[in-house]
Amino acid sequence: MKKILSHIILMLYILIIIIPFIFVLFSSLKENNIEIVTDPWGIPSSLHFDNYVMAWNNAKIGTYFFNSFYISVIASVITLGFGAATSYALTRMKFINLSKFFYTFILFGLVIPTGSLLVPLYKLITDLHLYNTHLALIFPYATFALPVSIYIICAFMRAIPSELEEAAMIDGLGALGLFTRIVLPISIPPLVTVFILNFLGNWNEFVMANFYLSSENLRTLPVGMVGFRDAFNTNYAQLSAGIMFSVVPVLIIYSILQEKIIEGVTAGSVKG
Amino acid sequence: MNKTLKNPIVYILFLLPTILLYCLFMGMPVIQAFYYGFTDWDGLNPPIFNGIENFREAFTDSDFWLSVLNNIYFILFSIVIQLPIIIFLSLLISQVKRFKAFYKTAVFIPSILSTAVIGILWGFIYEPDSGLLNQFLALFGVEKIYWLSDKSTAMISILITNAWQWTGFYVVLILAAILGIPKDLLEQAEIDGATNWNKSTRIIIPLIRPIIIVVMLLSIAGAMKALDIVWVMTEGGPFGTTDVMATYMIKEAFREYQYGYGNAIAILIFIFTLVITGLFQWSTKNNERIEY
Repeated sequence: MKKILSHIILMLYILIIIIPFIFVLFSSLKENNIEIVTDPWGIPSSLHFDNYVMAWNNAKIGTYFFNSFYISVIASVITLGFGAATSYALTRMKFINLSKFFYTFILFGLVIPTGSLLVPLYKLITDLHLYNTHLALIFPYATFALPVSIYIICAFMRAIPSELEEAAMIDGLGALGLFTRIVLPISIPPLVTVFILNFLGNWNEFVMANFYLSSENLRTLPVGMVGFRDAFNTNYAQLSAGIMFSVVPVLIIYSILQEKIIEGVTAGSVKG
Repeated sequence: MNKTLKNPIVYILFLLPTILLYCLFMGMPVIQAFYYGFTDWDGLNPPIFNGIENFREAFTDSDFWLSVLNNIYFILFSIVIQLPIIIFLSLLISQVKRFKAFYKTAVFIPSILSTAVIGILWGFIYEPDSGLLNQFLALFGVEKIYWLSDKSTAMISILITNAWQWTGFYVVLILAAILGIPKDLLEQAEIDGATNWNKSTRIIIPLIRPIIIVVMLLSIAGAMKALDIVWVMTEGGPFGTTDVMATYMIKEAFREYQYGYGNAIAILIFIFTLVITGLFQWSTKNNERIEY
């Protein structure tokens, strides 16, 4: 009997989490602002999927979606490639003291509050003539994700038994071959975790995207939506459709890879 | 044979790209912050060295201290109000058998979504005329409240949104620690006749003390970093009442063109964060590892 009370409390909490999403889902299918305002809790009178089409084309959500997607993928791939190579050198190669130094040096990046770098980084971005290009986001995204990624990948690679490498070395593999043929394939689980975490982080990032870009066509999805909201005469049904475009991909990834995401986010944060 | 893993060329090739990116995009800004923080600079003309003038200005700038105070509100809210709720929810989830995985999965969702989107979402909820919250309160005869544009409610509205986003994240952290407690320890307590309440307060909470401290540390670090949620919901308004250090830094640098001063604030955020987390870690030092 006691358990029922626990379930009631937990269900109430889940409700508090879900209600805003239900509201946005309903709003995204409603006819116009009037229907949203007069009947915010109601189920849409008829399903207006055209809001999605309008948001995608007219409100440029399609452009923003594409920008966000390819920036997030490229930055995550850079982090993944560099992070994996560095982790391999640091954990498997026999330069023990040097590796200790570099590992500590890189993990120091976890202590730096990245928000406080926003202003000095702006200067660097303009000096390198990257302002208002997507590289102004790709480089910082890729870099800021390196410390935690290297932490996660190193933890895994350190535990690989050296017998595997020894056998491969007898077969004549060099350091590069060991990396691509032996260590990388074994390390796929943490690499997937790292990639997904960084992708989500980049997909959601707002502040740098807001301040390092000025052209409307270059905007990412979060910035584009805040801009859309602040625009005169906002169409809330279309804005809600835009929110769905941002949230649904994340929810799909989460529903497939929830264990990995939870494990990765929590492992990374506890260290930081 | 051992030479294979001592190949210096491969070692350098594998480290170099990371070190280059890291030095350029993290190292350089840190160094530049420490340089420009000691200059009077508008971002265009050559910076003029002015010693600790920026820091002296910050210490007498009441708007800056208001923003510091708001960061402290973030910390207090997460530790005094959010943390007990987090522990309570984790205990509940750990004690139910059905839907355990569902609860864990569901509470985590807000923490993987974009803070910008959550800011917009909660903007709908706080909307004075048609927002969900005012419509709900109107059922009880409460008059219209301008949540985000009234000085007295703006900050608390942001804090609630922030808590909504991050509570589940910490619940999952603490839940993992609770589920890691050996079963026989809890069963023994049950045999000895411990109630759920006793079991929680006398056994579980003391055992998960280390992870609770980690959660407090993460909350403090998160509170010091608070930025997007404030920017998206109020831009620090009305009249700077919700400014945190980071939004104040941005306004000074990008709107007032006080780049030197902005960099000085960046240094202060950095130092304050280190001092507060350092003090906290020091004060909880006798926090010995728990072995089962």
